Amino acid sequence: MAGITLKNITKTYDNNVTVIPGMDLEIRDKEFIILVGPSGCGKSTTLRMIAGLEDVSSGEMYIGDQLVNDVPPKDRNIAMVFQSYALYPHMTVYKNMAFALQLKKVPKEEIDRKVREVAKVLELEPYLDRKPKALSGGQRQRVALGRAMVRDPAVFLLDEPLSNLDAKLRTEMRSQISELHQKLQTTFVYVTHDQTEAMTMADRIVVLKDGVIQQVDTPQELYDHPANQFVAGFIGTPPMNFFAAKVEKGEGGHVLSFGTCRIPTAAPGLERYEGRTINVGIRPEDIHGEEAFLALSTSGQLEAHVDLAEMMGAEIYLYITVEGHKLVSRVPSRMAVHSGDTVRLAVDGNKLHLFDPETQERI
Amino acid sequence: MAKRRKAGSVILTAVLSILSLVWLYPIFMILMNSLKTERAITTSGAFRLPAAATFAGLENYVSAIVSQGFLKSLGYSLFITISSVALILVCCSMCAWYITRVKGRLSRGLYFLFVLSMVVPFQMVMFTLSQTADLLKLNTPWNICVIYLGFGAGLAVFMFCGFVRSVPVEVEEASMIDGCNPIQTFFLIVLPMLKPTLVSVGILEAMWVWNDYLLPTLVLDIKNYMTIPMLIQHFRGSFGRVEMGPMMACIMLTIIPIVIVYLLGQKYIIKGVAAGAVKG
Repeated sequence: MAGITLKNITKTYDNNVTVIPGMDLEIRDKEFIILVGPSGCGKSTTLRMIAGLEDVSSGEMYIGDQLVNDVPPKDRNIAMVFQSYALYPHMTVYKNMAFALQLKKVPKEEIDRKVREVAKVLELEPYLDRKPKALSGGQRQRVALGRAMVRDPAVFLLDEPLSNLDAKLRTEMRSQISELHQKLQTTFVYVTHDQTEAMTMADRIVVLKDGVIQQVDTPQELYDHPANQFVAGFIGTPPMNFFAAKVEKGEGGHVLSFGTCRIPTAAPGLERYEGRTINVGIRPEDIHGEEAFLALSTSGQLEAHVDLAEMMGAEIYLYITVEGHKLVSRVPSRMAVHSGDTVRLAVDGNKLHLFDPETQERI
Repeated sequence: MAKRRKAGSVILTAVLSILSLVWLYPIFMILMNSLKTERAITTSGAFRLPAAATFAGLENYVSAIVSQGFLKSLGYSLFITISSVALILVCCSMCAWYITRVKGRLSRGLYFLFVLSMVVPFQMVMFTLSQTADLLKLNTPWNICVIYLGFGAGLAVFMFCGFVRSVPVEVEEASMIDGCNPIQTFFLIVLPMLKPTLVSVGILEAMWVWNDYLLPTLVLDIKNYMTIPMLIQHFRGSFGRVEMGPMMACIMLTIIPIVIVYLLGQKYIIKGVAAGAVKG
């Protein structure tokens, strides 16, 4: 078991392209941490540097107390699950799982015991004699996990392990991996671009953009208090709505106005923005359409034209236009709204996310 | 539409059948004549089927095997073919792995050099080659494989490169994490995955080395060492005398091993050549 420490890690490729300009990160022992971000943000590079598959250009990388900058992958006591599973196609499932232990010259009986133990946990026992090509995607995924598990590594590294699976299997495997983490009590570092995976599985999420950490926090904190506009827009489905609004002084606080809409807010720190325009974010579920909410909130109401109503079963996604701004609202399906309707909605003033228009940092 | 397609298929089958007969005809001629008496071959009866009077049974085969040092030549040919093909397979697959995985000017240059070597005709280098072989003492069956490696490397590296590119690099990375050093990664992971290409390159190179006449004639000391193609030529003897019967029998015996090798590995040939061509 071990934590991982990245101290001012940079990564520059031979063609002078800097992918990671300087990263500090502390991953605690037994933590399930997820690196998330758009394509090309450096999340896989970071994981590969932890694995030792990429050199660190500068900075210090520790696994436990050991400085591992120049330690080859095999001596880092890590195991990695690849996006493409990377199973050895010419070996059976059993041999795939036993390979690392055979290289370490572990006694045969112990290898057999460990492989069968892990195969039982992952329900792979009937397939031990099969080659990878005779397995389904989900089974291959489990073999890749099993291959990592038999080694009892200090750190599990997972590089988009679910992205090749279909939606149903992905949901299943998500919970299996979470259970596995609970059971193994080992540090997990997981890379994904799917924020649903990040939200559902992680103890903490690291949001990356252009190789720079935007925020490291628990899923709930990240959702409720995004550090900047990028994080706010990246986390959440459908994504957060953004619009520019002018800050005016109001009764007991401030009023944000855009067009004819006026939304009162008690958010602190707005004094220095009085008379200026700031970026306002509001999550789709915080634009309400229920009668009860509308009756309670006399201010912050807006009239919206419904461009499209997407029925999702339990709720409806309303794609609306308000004062020329395109917004999305998530309302209960009982509201029975249709495309082309004009509806009255109310913005929850307590749930606004306000960002500086220049730095895009949270106010 | 379906009718026209069927007619096309019939015509194609007929043409290909005729073509294959044309291909098989010389072999059939050799087989037929290897079973005839010497007189029957050298006279105008070469194209006739063996009759009671001209049928020699296995006499030519016995005479080829017993009297002309056939077994010795067979041994040399076998040794040269096996050692050359083994050397080509090991060295060229490793080289192709390096060229494909290590990006840089050196590997790019190496690749072009190998591809270029395929288009240089043998006749252009054969004189300097025989001199160099003598100088380096590469003129015995025990080390002629080094020369074969040089000549066979172009095609082998080209084909291996095509296939190695299709091997996902993650598999090699996984083996590094599992504890392999580069040598182990190559021999335990990459080489087994190259099996189809190994077989197809092996067969192509084996056919070439086994049937090669020019290179061993130029390089080997003909008084001491003779490979099978050299032996067949030797049947021509001196003063224009040709022992056609034993020569035909010898050719038949020579064809058999390489045909067996080809038949055993033919399903891989298609796979290997296709992998090299499509993914290369």
